[in-house]
Amino acid sequence: MQTSRTSRRNFLAFALGVPIAGATLAACGSSGPGTENGGSGGGSGGSYWYLSVDPNETIRRTSLDRFNKANPDESIKGTAFQNDAYKEKIKVAIGAGQAPTVIWGWGGGGLASWVDAGAVEDLTSWFDENPDQKERRFPSSFAAATVDGKIYAVPAETVTPIVLFWNKQVFEEAGLQPPTSWEEILELVPKFNDKKIAPFSLAGQSRWTNMMWLEFLFDRIGGPEIFQAVFDGEKDAWSNPAAIKALGEVQKLVKADGFIKGFASITADTNADQALLTSGKAAMMLHGAWTYGSMKTEGGDFVSGGHLGYMNFPPVAGGTGDPSNTYGNPGQYYSLSSKATDEQKTAAKDFFKTQVLSDAEQTDWVNDAGQVPIVVGVDSKFSGLEDAEWLQFVYDTASTAQTFSQSWDQALSPTAAEELLSNIAKLFSLDVTPEKFAENMNAVIGK
Amino acid sequence: MTASTLERPAPYRKLLHLNWIGGLAGWFWLFVVIVPIYWIALTSIKTRSNYYTTNPLAPPDDITFSNYQFVMDAGFPRYFTNTVIVTLGAVVPAVLISFMAAFAIVRAGDGRFLRGVNLLFLAGLAVPLQAVIIPVYLIIIKLQLYDTLLAIILPSVAFAIPLTVLILVNFIRDVPKELFESMRLDGASEWRTAWSLAFPLTRPALVTVGIYNALTIWNGFLLPLVLTSEPDQRTLPLALWSFQGQYGVNVPAVAAAVVLTTLPILALYAIGRRQLLSGLTAGFGR
Amino acid sequence: MALPAFLMFVAFAVIPLIGVLALSFTQWDGIGDIHPAGFDSWRDVLTDPGLPNALWVTFEVMFLSWAFQTPLSLLIGVFLAAPHRYRGVLAVIYFIPLLLSQAAIAITFKALLDPNFGLGAGLGVDLLVQDWLGDPTLALCTVVFVVSWQFIPFHSLIYQGAVRQIPISLYEAAQLDGAGRIRQFFSITLPQLRNTIITSSTLMVVGSLTFFDLIWVLTAGGPGDATRALALDMYIRGFRANLMGPASAIAVILVVVGLLLALALRRLGGGRDTGSQLEGM
Repeated sequence: MQTSRTSRRNFLAFALGVPIAGATLAACGSSGPGTENGGSGGGSGGSYWYLSVDPNETIRRTSLDRFNKANPDESIKGTAFQNDAYKEKIKVAIGAGQAPTVIWGWGGGGLASWVDAGAVEDLTSWFDENPDQKERRFPSSFAAATVDGKIYAVPAETVTPIVLFWNKQVFEEAGLQPPTSWEEILELVPKFNDKKIAPFSLAGQSRWTNMMWLEFLFDRIGGPEIFQAVFDGEKDAWSNPAAIKALGEVQKLVKADGFIKGFASITADTNADQALLTSGKAAMMLHGAWTYGSMKTEGGDFVSGGHLGYMNFPPVAGGTGDPSNTYGNPGQYYSLSSKATDEQKTAAKDFFKTQVLSDAEQTDWVNDAGQVPIVVGVDSKFSGLEDAEWLQFVYDTASTAQTFSQSWDQALSPTAAEELLSNIAKLFSLDVTPEKFAENMNAVIGK
Repeated sequence: MTASTLERPAPYRKLLHLNWIGGLAGWFWLFVVIVPIYWIALTSIKTRSNYYTTNPLAPPDDITFSNYQFVMDAGFPRYFTNTVIVTLGAVVPAVLISFMAAFAIVRAGDGRFLRGVNLLFLAGLAVPLQAVIIPVYLIIIKLQLYDTLLAIILPSVAFAIPLTVLILVNFIRDVPKELFESMRLDGASEWRTAWSLAFPLTRPALVTVGIYNALTIWNGFLLPLVLTSEPDQRTLPLALWSFQGQYGVNVPAVAAAVVLTTLPILALYAIGRRQLLSGLTAGFGR
Repeated sequence: MALPAFLMFVAFAVIPLIGVLALSFTQWDGIGDIHPAGFDSWRDVLTDPGLPNALWVTFEVMFLSWAFQTPLSLLIGVFLAAPHRYRGVLAVIYFIPLLLSQAAIAITFKALLDPNFGLGAGLGVDLLVQDWLGDPTLALCTVVFVVSWQFIPFHSLIYQGAVRQIPISLYEAAQLDGAGRIRQFFSITLPQLRNTIITSSTLMVVGSLTFFDLIWVLTAGGPGDATRALALDMYIRGFRANLMGPASAIAVILVVVGLLLALALRRLGGGRDTGSQLEGM
């Protein structure tokens, strides 16, 4: 079995250390028309697959359209896929040697498996040739793109920590205060249930949504070292008392009906979990920062009317983890298929250079999606915006976190991730006890 | 075997008209069958806001076809075309080569090879497509057919063969031996006998298996799921699934997509109903 | 003349069948190269608690759907065989579920059963607001129900056809003997339908091994692995967890189970399998 070779240093993305505004502004990547493209005018710049669901999908497509307009002779064809289906599709396509030229991904263990198969290009030299491309990005965004000390993906898009969202209206009507600790969360549960409101929305069928709960509980109770031990393949790492306690706390919440009825049949792809929060059927939701944009576009006046509250996951009494720690995606990752023709590779690199995180695209992310691009000094774009407060929150959460860790399923190899997710589903359906969960997972450590 | 089973003499009435337990079960299940169909059709003509506010089984205040417009704009005409290509492209060859095989099997009597072929096909009935999807995927990659409609067509043909041969063998057996004999005495080749005598005589059966296979292939999900990736190559069931994944909270739109993907099949059924029913009951009801 | 069909079948069914056996002795992540790996995959699969679970789920679905469908289909079949005014209409409507793709059916029921936005919530009937797909036991029952929804009409039609082939003289004789209707059903109809029951059961049982689309769309094997039948287990291992070797081993098990079941049912039928029966040998 493949052992993931991202080092400890890579996995734990230590404090972002973002230089505060005033440092080099990332204007170097502006989309001037003066691109030297080596395209011979063959026309086909290959293809690019990315994730669907607006507003992100439109931003990705717009960037591509800009590129195709500026470079008609190396135009790239874009296709959008849904999250859950995409993970399989991209794998099958890579296996068939029919990968798109530009492969959208999450970095980490999935990227490592593509590297193992020789499916993606080593982009280290490209970054060496374009030092500005390296300097303008958050340093922490490169960890998940790096395998064996080489960079195999262009960090792109936005930093999206996982956030505890809450519906202010629901809290007000119920006369309750948002929780400041795990214990208060548990106290809130029966109060909301009595009012026939689900305490938490959760798209349990997607499973990685459940995982977010474990990530934070593990972290708050025992610190990031607990999962790090699993990642490093230490024997019986899952049996750590802190891990067992965290697993038990999750089940406590499940047993208390902390999650919406039927959560195990809700999928995240449809944004149904967000609809439950915005429509007031649920009071709170733990989810990635990327959901802000879709709640804004689909949730009526929920966001614009100021009804959305958000916070970093609260601490657990007696826990040793730093409450500033967060989990999520330190960025998204664009890889280049090694099967692409030279012409296509040139086109893709031009795309990376001129459009990915260009000034216009940054503005799109900030204004339309309420997300923080992984660009140093991007916070200068926030002032005066409707979403300024939220953007600043995300920026601060990401940059002041003592550790910002990549989501478990992205960090692990696909094999280990699948095993983990299927056990997490059983944990949430109360099919396994914390001890049994630990036993099952210990059995596959290092696979 | 023809549709003669549809008419029965009177004594049956005496025997069965009091079968009230069966009647109860029959009507109850009819209700169970109808409710979801009715609900999905009804929901597809409601607006989204209307869907959340009205009784789910009551007609909407204002009928809207915007959901259908939405689905059409989401590329469904293209998926429809793909599905038609895959279905026709698989059913026609499958039925033709199965007919040839069935004819050979019936006529050969004791030929060892053909008996073996027949047994192989019989055993093939018990092999689920799922079980071989991984090697099929590999073969398709090796043939450089990944992400083409042909990738769906080829395995579909192969997996349609066993049952098609089985049913056709059944029908060709019913052709009186004397007819074959007289053809042979006239000096006609087996090839000619097959196409000019057996083929027209088994036409009802051919239509039946054709419709049956068309149904299976039209509704196929696993092959497109594994063997294609680009939306340009999507077939309807896969498109439906993707659509639901993306717009799942918009139930009326999903309902419209379900209805749209089903309408062509219902039309086909309306045309070929008698043949399908009599063919299937004849094929299985012995 | 049988050659084209034979070759086609060999190319896309027989060779893959051999291929799947071969692949089960390799290690392949679906992306890179294929490496021989001896019995590793088999060892993994046979010691994995996921396998007994997948087998168990498969048999649960198989048995429950058989036990639910057979009596109902038989009753309805007998009822449909009798001539009455609505028979034509009934037959038309009855057939519709069979025409729909499993993806469409699963999506319909998924929306219909949604505890927050579905039929029950809309009608305000609490009985219908269950966690149909989120509770392990209920999810399995829901899968069985949806399967039955699709296939009961089909089996009813098979039985209907068979009932109409029973010589009427048998019933006339029984009536002269003064046998009641229930007696007639058990002493004439059922024995006469024996072969049809075996045919229909074989179709149900072997067919249930191949449920993939329906369960995949409805629950994706969840909650947990409550509805993760063999076919799904294979797909998830292969295409999600990048374990094509173990997935192939599961596929081999799937084939073996299918063949064993077909043979067992053939035994039940006194050596007349559906094939020969269908051929009218």
